[in-house]
Amino acid sequence: MSSSLAIEARGLTRRFGNFTAVDGVTFHVGKGEIFGYLGANGAGKSTTIRMLIGLLAPSGGEAQVAGHDVGRDPEGVKGSIGYMSQKFSLYLDLPVRENLRFFGGAYGLWGAELSRRADEVLELTGLAEFRDAPTGSLPGGIRQRLALGSAVLHRPPIVFLDEPTAGVDPVARRGFWRLIRDLADAGTTVFVTTHYLDEAEYCHRIGLMADGRLVALDTPEALKRTWVPDRVLVARGRNLDQAAAALRAEPGVRAAEPFGAALHLRVDPARWDAVAVGAALARGGAVAVAVEESEPSLEDVFLAVAGGAGTEIQGEAG
Amino acid sequence: MSAAAGRLRRFAVRVGAMAWKEILHVRRDPRTLVLALIMPVVMLLLFGYGVSFDLERIPLAISDQDHTEASRRLARAYVAANEFAPAGGAGAEEALTLFRRREARAMLVLPRGYGQELARGGPARAQLLVDGADPVTATQILSKSDAIALGETRRMAEASGAAVAPPIQVKLWIRYNPEARSAVFIVPGMAAYLMAIVAVLLTALTIAGEWERGSMEQLFASPVGRLEIVLGKLLPYLGLGLLQLLLVLAVGAGAFDVPIRGSIWLVVLAGLLFLAGMLGQGLFISVVARSQLVATQAGTLSSLLPSMLLSGMLVPIENMPLPLRLLSRIIPARYLVDALRQVLLKGNGIEGIWKDLLWMLGFAVVVLGLATVRFKRRVA
Repeated sequence: MSSSLAIEARGLTRRFGNFTAVDGVTFHVGKGEIFGYLGANGAGKSTTIRMLIGLLAPSGGEAQVAGHDVGRDPEGVKGSIGYMSQKFSLYLDLPVRENLRFFGGAYGLWGAELSRRADEVLELTGLAEFRDAPTGSLPGGIRQRLALGSAVLHRPPIVFLDEPTAGVDPVARRGFWRLIRDLADAGTTVFVTTHYLDEAEYCHRIGLMADGRLVALDTPEALKRTWVPDRVLVARGRNLDQAAAALRAEPGVRAAEPFGAALHLRVDPARWDAVAVGAALARGGAVAVAVEESEPSLEDVFLAVAGGAGTEIQGEAG
Repeated sequence: MSAAAGRLRRFAVRVGAMAWKEILHVRRDPRTLVLALIMPVVMLLLFGYGVSFDLERIPLAISDQDHTEASRRLARAYVAANEFAPAGGAGAEEALTLFRRREARAMLVLPRGYGQELARGGPARAQLLVDGADPVTATQILSKSDAIALGETRRMAEASGAAVAPPIQVKLWIRYNPEARSAVFIVPGMAAYLMAIVAVLLTALTIAGEWERGSMEQLFASPVGRLEIVLGKLLPYLGLGLLQLLLVLAVGAGAFDVPIRGSIWLVVLAGLLFLAGMLGQGLFISVVARSQLVATQAGTLSSLLPSMLLSGMLVPIENMPLPLRLLSRIIPARYLVDALRQVLLKGNGIEGIWKDLLWMLGFAVVVLGLATVRFKRRVA
C-alpha cells in the first residue's frame, strides 16, 4: 500500500445470509481527499462504512484503513479514525462540552490536553457559545456540528461521516460542508456518505453505489463528462409543455423534462444548440422562449447511471 | 514510560471517561438518585415500623363462667403482662361471637368449677381457643399463654408453701436479639433487597439506554473495549450501592437500634461482592434485552422476587420446600443476609462468613463473565 493512500479497498464484500449488501467493491482514497459515497438508501453505503471502521467483518475481499487491515486489526483501525454514525448518538442530557470531553476520553485524551482540544474544537465548530447548554436543547444543525467535533477531537487522520447532514436544513448543511472542507484543507481525509446530490459537488471524488456495487467512481466533472455527454440546456417561456412534447420526437433530443417552471433538455451536441432548440420550441407553439446552456448536474449523472448501465463498473480515474 | 504503563494509563483514562459520563447522567436525572437513596429510607421506615412480627396487646375474649376469685386472678394474669388486651365479652356466646368475627384472636374460657378444682388441689382446667388462620400469630399466642400459665402455677405453689424446684429447669436465654425485635431481623434483609433492586435495575437501564440511543455503535467504533465499557458502567453504581448500604445501616442503627457489632469493613466487603453480582445481573439483562422497557421488567422481577422471598429475609430458608431451598443456594441475597446478620448482630468475623463471601464472589464472577462474553457476541 502506497503511503499516499488513506483507504484502499479491494473486492470488499459483505453478505448477510443470501443477501449481498456490498459486492466486490474496489477503490482507494488519497490522503486529504474528500471522498463522497453516494447511493440510494439500502445501496450498501452504511455497510461499506461499517466494514471500513472495523465494526463489521468483511465476508470477502480486504481493505486497509490508515495502514491497518480492517479484517485482521479492527482495533488498530478504530484508534486511527473518527466516526460519525448515521443515527444521532450524542448524549442529549449532557452539556455540549461534556459530550466532547467524553469522546475525547474514549480516545485516550485526558487532563490539560483534553481540555485544550475540547476548547479548540468548540472554536472550530463555532459552538463556543453553547458550551454549557444541554445538547438536547440545541437545533439539529448545531448538534450535527457537535457530532463532527466529537469525531475529530482526537485529531484522527481519517474521518468517516455516515449521512452527516440527513434532516438538516440547507443553510446548516452549507455551514457543515464548510467545516468538512476546512478539515480536508488541514490534511484530514474525509469519507462521507450522502444522498444529497448537491452536496456531492463538494467532494473531490465520488463513488456511486447501486445494489451493493460500485457503479461509477471519478471526480464530479469527469463523471458528468463520461455519463452525460449530451449538451444540457434550460429553456424558459410559456406553453413549454406542449412544445416539449413535439420536441421529444425530434432525432437527437434525449430528454426534455419539466423542472419547476423551466424545461430541462439533454440533446446531442452534434445536432442541436441553444438557438436551434429555441427555434424548434417556438415552432411547437411556445412563446417568449429563452434557452441557455447549462452544466449537467450530478443528478443527471445519477439518473444516467441508475437508468442505463446500472451494473457496469467504471474503472478508476483517480 | 514503558508500553505496558502506557496501555494501563489509556485503559484507566477510558474507564474514567465512561464512569464520569455515567456520574453526569445520574446527576442530571434526579429520579435515579431518588430511586437509589430516598426510596430505601422510605421502604426501611415502612418495613421497620409497619411490618412487625412482634405482637403486643393481642385482643383476647374472656369468658369467665366461674366468677370466683381464682378465675378472675388468672384472667388478670393474662392481661397484666400487656401481651393480651381484653376484647370485652363476659358471656360465653358474646365471647364466641368476638372470636368468630376475629375481633379477638384468642378466647380464654374459664369453666364453672375452676376455682373449686383449684382449691381442691386437683388440676384446674381452663380453655384457650386460638385462631389458627394466621400461624405466626397463633404460635406466639401459644407460647405467651404457656408462659403465663406457668408463671401462675409457680406463684400459687409458692403461696401455698409447697414450692419445689421442678426437676428440669430450662433457662431460655435469647442472644443477639434478646427482645426478638423484627427490625433487627429485617434490616439486613432490607439492605439486600434494596441494593439488589437498585443495582440490577439501574445497570440494566443504563446499558439498554446506550443500545436504544444508538450510542453503543459509536462506542464500539471507538477504541473503548468491552471491559472498559463494563467497568466504566459498573464502578459508579458500585459506589452508589455502597452508599445505599451505609445509608440503610445508618437508618437501621438510628431508628431501630440495629447494632453493628462486627467490623464495618467486613460489611463493606460483603456489600461489594454482593453488588458486583447484582450489577453483573443487570448487565446481563441489558445485553440480552437491549430495550429499556424489557430491561426494566426483567430487572425488577429477577431482583425483587428472589431477594425478598428466597433470601431468608422474611421466610426462614429452613422452612422452605426442598426445591426452593436448593434454588435459594444460587441467590446471592441469601448469603448477604446471612453475612450481615452474622457481622452486625453477632459480631462474627471472617471465620463466620467466608463461605457467604465465596458464594457471592462465585456468583459475581460467573454472571459478569457471561455478560461480557454475551456482550462481545452481539457485535457483528
